[in-house]
Parts: sequence; C-alpha cells; structure tokens
Amino acid sequence: MTTLNQILTSKPTGLYYNNRLILPFQGIFLKIIVNDDIITDFSPSSKHIYISENENYTDIYFKEYKHLKDSVSKYEAIKMVLVEKGKDIFDFDNHKKIAIYLKDKHQVTIEETDEDIIFIE
Amino acid sequence: MKYDRIIISVIFSFFFYCNNLTAAPAVQNSLATINEKALPTPYMVIPFILLLLMIATGPLFYKHFWERQYPKIAFLLGLVTVAYYLIFLNQYDNILHTFSEYISFMALLSSLFVASGGIFIKVDRKATPFVNVLFLLFGAVISNVIGTTGASMLLIRPFIKMNKDRIKAYHVIFFIFIVSNIGGALTPVGDPPLFIGFLRGVPFFWVIENVWFIWIPVIILILAVFFVFDWFNNKGNDKQVEAEYSGNFQFKGYRNLVYLAVIILSVFLDPGIFPWIPDLYPIPFGIREIIMFAVVYLSYKQADKEILRDNEFDFEPIKEVAYLFIGIFLTMIPALELIAEEARINRDILNAGTFYWATGGLSSFLDNTPTYLNFLSAAMGKYGLDINLHAHVKEFVSQDIIYLRAISVSAVFFGSMTYIGNGPNFMVKSICERAGIEMPSFFTYMIKYSIPILIPLFLIIYLMFFH
Repeated sequence: MTTLNQILTSKPTGLYYNNRLILPFQGIFLKIIVNDDIITDFSPSSKHIYISENENYTDIYFKEYKHLKDSVSKYEAIKMVLVEKGKDIFDFDNHKKIAIYLKDKHQVTIEETDEDIIFIE
Repeated sequence: MKYDRIIISVIFSFFFYCNNLTAAPAVQNSLATINEKALPTPYMVIPFILLLLMIATGPLFYKHFWERQYPKIAFLLGLVTVAYYLIFLNQYDNILHTFSEYISFMALLSSLFVASGGIFIKVDRKATPFVNVLFLLFGAVISNVIGTTGASMLLIRPFIKMNKDRIKAYHVIFFIFIVSNIGGALTPVGDPPLFIGFLRGVPFFWVIENVWFIWIPVIILILAVFFVFDWFNNKGNDKQVEAEYSGNFQFKGYRNLVYLAVIILSVFLDPGIFPWIPDLYPIPFGIREIIMFAVVYLSYKQADKEILRDNEFDFEPIKEVAYLFIGIFLTMIPALELIAEEARINRDILNAGTFYWATGGLSSFLDNTPTYLNFLSAAMGKYGLDINLHAHVKEFVSQDIIYLRAISVSAVFFGSMTYIGNGPNFMVKSICERAGIEMPSFFTYMIKYSIPILIPLFLIIYLMFFH
C-alpha cells in the first residue's frame, strides 16, 4: 500500500467542487485551517466539516462555505495537520503539515508545507 | 463579488451627486458656519452602536453570517446616516469630508499593506523572552518611521515564525499593544491622528519632543510585563520542543522597500504643507492618495510571486478593514458631532485629565483621528482659537502644551484597547488566525488583556502627567 509520505513526494493533485475537497489519500485529521477558520472538531456532528473516507480518497465538505474558491485566494492555502493511518498519532514526527492550493479546472495541488509558510499546529 | 461593485458605484454616485449640489466655497463656508448647523438627534448614534456591537459579537456568535454579510451591514448602516444627513438635515459637507478622510485612510493603509506584503523577513533564531523584547522594541521604534500599519504588516510574520514552537495569543496581543499602537506615538508618520495634527499645523518634531518621556516608560513597562509572561511560557517550553535554528537572517523584496519609502514621502505631499502641490478639489482625494493607490497596483503587480505565496498574501484583511471602516466612518459622524458640541459647551470645565480620558475612551472604540481632531478643537476653543487655521494651531502649541500632549498620547495609546481601536489591530488578528493561532474574541481581548494590563498603566500616566 502506498504510504502518505510516498504520495506527498509524488506531488499529487486533488479536486474541488464548490465546498467539496477531494484528496487522493486517507489520514487522521487533527487540524484544518481554511480562511481564518481553525477547525479541530471532526466529529460527525461537527458544524464546520464533514469527512467521508472512500477506498482511495477522502471527501471533505466545508459546511460553512458555498464555494471554496470565493474564500481561498491564489496565494493562500488550505492547511492541514494529519497523521497517516496506522502510525502513532502521539508522535509529533508523524504529524504531516500540508498546504492545498486551489488551481483552475477544479484541481488542487497538495504539498508539504515548507518552513517559510507560517502554520502553527 | 457582485455587491462590491454595487457598493462602489453607490459611493461614487453619491459623491458625484453631492458635487452637483455643492461648490468649492460651500465647504469652506460650512466650516465657519458649523455652529449654526442643526445637530443630529442622539438617536442617530444607534447605527454606530449597532455596528460596534455587531463587530464585537458577529465573529463570536454568528461568525459565518457575519463573514458573508458584514460588507452589506456596514454599508447599509452607513447609508442610514448618509440618508439622515441628506434628507432630514440637508447637510452633505460633513459626509463629503468624511468620505475624503476615509479615502486618505484607506490609501495609506492599503499601500502599506500591499507594499509590506511583498517583503519577506525571516529571523531563524530561537525566540527567547529577551530576543522577543528586543524585537518588539525594534517594532516600536520602526513604527515611527513606517507607521504602525507598515511595521505591523512587516514584522508580524517574522515574529510568529520566531516563536513558532511556543506562540500563544499573548505574543500577538503584546505585538498589537506595542507595534500596532503605542510604539507609533512619537512622529506624525506613526499614527493617523498625529499625522492629521501635523497637517493642521502641529510641528513635525513637536510630538517626539513632548511625548518621549511618556513613551519610554510606557514601552519599558509593557515590555517588562511581556517579559514576565514570556519567561513563564518559555520556562515550560525548555523541556518540550527544541527546534534547530541556523541563526540566519533572511530578507527578500528589496524593491518594496523603495515602495515603502515612496509611501512615507508621499505622506507629506499635501497642499497644506507645500502650496505648489495642486489641490484636486472637488475630487475627494489628492496627489498623495493617487501615488499611494499607484503603489498598491505596482507593488502587487511587480511583487515576487514566491514571496506572496510565502506570506500567503490575500486582500481579504484589507477588504475587511475597507468595508468595516466605511461603516464606522459614516455612522460615527453623529456621535462625533454630539461629542464636539458637548466639548464646546463644557470647554471651561474641561481639564487635561478630561481630555486624556475622553479622547482615550473614545479612541478605543471610534476612529482615533476624528476623535483627536474634535478634542483638539475643543481644547483650542478654550483659548478662542480655531483648529482650521494653521496660525491658530501654532499659537495653541506655543501657549499650552498639556492639552495637546494629553490628546496626542491618549489618541494613540488607547487605540490598543480593542481590535477596532486602530486599523492594523484587525489585520494582525486576521493574519494570525490564518496562521492557525487561536485569537481571543473581542470581549476576551479586553477583559483578559487590555483592561488588566493597559488601564493601570494609563492610570499611572494620568496621575503622573495629566492629574
């Protein structure tokens, strides 16, 4: 099975449609920042977000946004902290910080954040 | 967004409508006849109070409704005030004047925001409490050169990066206290009210000559409080994450330093200072604003895209300020007129302490520039002097400096009391939230930080200098 590390090094792309973000991997999400919303409640009853896991991808619905494109500008990223499934969630070394940039034609690019991007876990 | 255009077109339609009504001498005469004008009913303060309440409660209780609707709400409440003045009072000069001040305000803020957004500073060293204190002190000094807005935009990201392993809300709040507000109390470039005072005739170096001995102890005391907070925070952190630091300092975007210099120099391009500069009246802005808006365009177009990405540059924070402040500027007109009238009636019993607390109290919630002007006007009224005459302002400055000192200090210092006290406060908050830092709400900011830390300090200043 392809690991999250391997996926991230291959510079993957995902998709977005209105408030739905489709990422080509699975993981345990710890924190998501979209715009100035800091989301940490990923329970099924969360007001902010709904996450649906599928075999090879993850659907994320941002409930309070109609269109992600309206809120996230071209130099901004949706930022996430997540841990690969099966890895020790309590080990900070396993926490991956990723930045997702919305591009044209519903595509998103996914990359690990470099040290220049401010992202406080 | 559609309503962006609608709002802009309504503003400009209103402006050109008023220009048809008015002529150049009309505005000049209105200054002389201001006392003959009908005052607004106190009920017209309601839109302003409503807007302030919504700014305070919106992000707390109905965040996403507020985020979607705040431009409309701010604009509509502003429109209520405009309609009242046009229809019921048949006055338009103060609306035009406010609009012109708003354009100057936005020109300065947006140009500093965009130009500094194209600069990338990275200080890769461990942020000990002592280093943080030095950094904030540097921010306080530099805010007198590039303004509190420029300094805030330039330094907030490196400050967060330096503290990335242990940043807490208090780091940002002390940054707002020192760099976004109090630091800029020494020069007219530092904070807009001082700049307006300079345009009205207060000598450029008057502020530093008369305020430095208040500025230094206040900065030292706030830094000392910060040091204690940070020392405790750092103590626990020593045992936790120990990141590696190279000690390098990185600076990218030199071209934008030139743009910053252009903005600072253009601040002085005012027909009131240099008579050879053309006054573009009835257009509600001048050469200065044209240069500043040109800097917005050029510095954004020519900015290094990598830097914009590293800074996660977005126009949203400045758009937020633009929308909220059009509402604030318009709805506060009745409040300021009523305050000015009260100050005029009671000018004989007003003393330095009253000016200090009244200017400060109102600057915490209202825009500090008109507050400064109104209380300066009231203070000059005690001597029968007119704020609209340069010679009178100079005479006032030479007669009795305690009132002007009280007004200048409190207008700048008290801007740090709330998120809406000064333009950069909101921008800094927004940048931090986008970086993942949970910031306190409007009320928590006041209850937990500004009231317990700043009010005792401001009380000491009052007892020492204005009692």
